[in-house]
Amino acid sequence: MKRVAVIVAGLALALPADAFAKGQFHPEEEWNLRDWVPIHLGSLNLSINKAVVSLLLAAVVTMALGIVLMRVRLKPTPDRRQTVGETIYEVAQTQVAEQGLPTKAIGRWFPYVASLMLFIWVVNMIGFVPLPISDEKFHVAGLAIPTFAIFAATSTLSVTITLALLTFVFTHYEGIRWNGPVKYFKSWIPDVPKAILPLIVPLEILGQFMRLISLSVRLYANMLAGHMLILTFIGLIFVLENVAVAVFGLPFATIFYLFEVIIVVTIQAFIFAALSAIYIGSAIEPEH
Amino acid sequence: MIGLLAAAKGNVDAGKAIALALGIGLGSLGAGVGIGNIFGSMIQAVARQPELRGELQGIQWLGFALTEAVVFYGLIGGLLAYVLI
Repeated sequence: MKRVAVIVAGLALALPADAFAKGQFHPEEEWNLRDWVPIHLGSLNLSINKAVVSLLLAAVVTMALGIVLMRVRLKPTPDRRQTVGETIYEVAQTQVAEQGLPTKAIGRWFPYVASLMLFIWVVNMIGFVPLPISDEKFHVAGLAIPTFAIFAATSTLSVTITLALLTFVFTHYEGIRWNGPVKYFKSWIPDVPKAILPLIVPLEILGQFMRLISLSVRLYANMLAGHMLILTFIGLIFVLENVAVAVFGLPFATIFYLFEVIIVVTIQAFIFAALSAIYIGSAIEPEH
Repeated sequence: MIGLLAAAKGNVDAGKAIALALGIGLGSLGAGVGIGNIFGSMIQAVARQPELRGELQGIQWLGFALTEAVVFYGLIGGLLAYVLI
């Protein structure tokens, strides 16, 4: 088994000789989404590109994870698989839902925040698994195979802003549904002297939209910066055109890779779900 | 003349690169202090009341991610300025 892995790795390094071609290094090319299956509805561009493929893959994996870990063959004495499922469920319930949502709303919004957490975790995680969804090709025995690249769909702004928009819409929908429009929008205005209200109210309204930006940019920038760092450390070999750079470039890239996979991926999924729960909860039960 | 212009262009690019690096560096300074604070307080809190560890851990990671994200706002702002100007 080990020998096979070594041979495969050696072949993968030796065959794509053009990967070691000297020249320009453009890490930002990775985020150029080229249309693979063009679908245009008027001015709407719904083409399938690599971000869409990785999102679809993530959706399938999320559903499979949920069904396999939490639905199939449940026993009173859990085995390892069921323990993993129960741990995920418990984190989603005690750390995410119960921290943010009021008790009366948990039944309705627990599924949303829990699936948000699992889905973002899977999307982030797929972003760190080298998959053959790339625009570049290498040739083996006349076959053009896409290079194995790491690309997270969450490192494109449109994906994260869509998820943030979902939370944004649900927040205000729930706020209005539970409190009525007048009471809800009144709850945005804090208790301050009347004189400075014209100053505070625009800031509060702006703050509601800043939530949208901070929620989406946090996830986006984290994943983008993580991939950029790994790419840059490996790319130094090509920028300086010296294989000796690999001696320190690769270990640093590996350290960042492990940091991202072990800590950042999970934290970002958790934080997105927890903040969604807190925002929805604070709209359902405004403090004042 | 063309040489001078090219040199000026090179200087502008170098200046932009220095500004971007400085901006991100200073941004991470603040976040570094903040993250250090969070984990320091966490250690103190757990040392005083070990039984609260589980509850505190959720809050700790929330604070960590909120603070850490500040660096990336700086990074995105810097990259935007670098690309647009």
